[in-house]
Amino acid sequence: MPEMDQIVPVPREDEDEDDGAEEEATEKVGTECKPGADSEEGEDEKVLKFLDSFDAYLVLIDSLSSALRQGWLELACARHSMGSSRISSALFDHKVRSAATTLKVTDSLDSSLSEPNPHFTLSKWGTQEDRCSSEEIELDSMQKKSNQSQLRHRAASNILGEREESNSSGNGPQLSFSKDVQKERAKSLAVFGTLVSPKLRTAQSSFETALERIVEMANARSAMLSAFTQLQLEVKGSEDTTREDTV
Amino acid sequence: MAGRAPIPTSNSALIAMIADEDTVTGFLLAGIGNVDLRRKTNYLIVNNKTTLKAIEEAFKEFTTREDIAIVLISQYVANMIRFLVDRYNKPVPAILEIPSKDHPYDPTQDSVLSRVRYLFSAESVASGRY
Repeated sequence: MPEMDQIVPVPREDEDEDDGAEEEATEKVGTECKPGADSEEGEDEKVLKFLDSFDAYLVLIDSLSSALRQGWLELACARHSMGSSRISSALFDHKVRSAATTLKVTDSLDSSLSEPNPHFTLSKWGTQEDRCSSEEIELDSMQKKSNQSQLRHRAASNILGEREESNSSGNGPQLSFSKDVQKERAKSLAVFGTLVSPKLRTAQSSFETALERIVEMANARSAMLSAFTQLQLEVKGSEDTTREDTV
Repeated sequence: MAGRAPIPTSNSALIAMIADEDTVTGFLLAGIGNVDLRRKTNYLIVNNKTTLKAIEEAFKEFTTREDIAIVLISQYVANMIRFLVDRYNKPVPAILEIPSKDHPYDPTQDSVLSRVRYLFSAESVASGRY
């Protein structure tokens, strides 16, 4: 049908000649499209990373709010049972003391990041590493003492053997660690008197949970800001390339 | 990459607080209270009698101390010194706005979230409708 022949866009007579040109054109277009496609994929990945960290931050804020509400309620109950004068900021003395719960701050291992990305680790009531190192020192000192005296050698070796058995079982350091933790907790409660309401203990537990959320929030915040900075750089880079293309 | 400022790392950094009495009491129960040899604490209790100047000085002190890694500040207190909080841009100590008993958390007022929110307002489809 002549009408159908006229409709066909590519005439068959020129097909062989144009094939090579078309292939070259498609190859050129393909090569031009590839870096653009890669940059779009990279930008999408960064957008997703940013949105994930943003969502994590908001979820953690919600979780923190719940923990804080629980803590305030328990504190109010403790104040009701113990009396408002016994749970008051007037009891906070200014005697020199170190914080029992601290943070470990490390730099991000990702050197490709242009923005600093700190990482926070919570150390509740002293770190476990400190406990292990102090016990190693004790073990070393006991070994030295046993070497010095032959008369006491048998007794000391028995003690060392017991110590090694307890360390190998893993119960010894854990028990002493938990005892130290309980000791530190009791010190914090002792500010409000020797006999405290059970609600005050549960309030302490709630605020410890809130503290864990806060450290997670701090890490989520730094991840979010880092992702945001990378995304800004990506967007700026793509805007510069589009301007160059239009020029 | 070149020009990246190093982060001050520490094994026993402190958490500072600028908040109401109940919040500070609770976190002191959790063991973060510290009093150094100069009798300086790592917390400030904000009440009706606390002046704006005292809050500003506490914020400036906590954000310049090298032994503090996180500064917790109630959002309603942060709103009083919003110009200071928004101007702060160091990674450490990290400033975290937290809710208080009488003032729930509002994400639209958070300094960090408002900083990243403009990305959405510039790129979102909704902005084209205005």
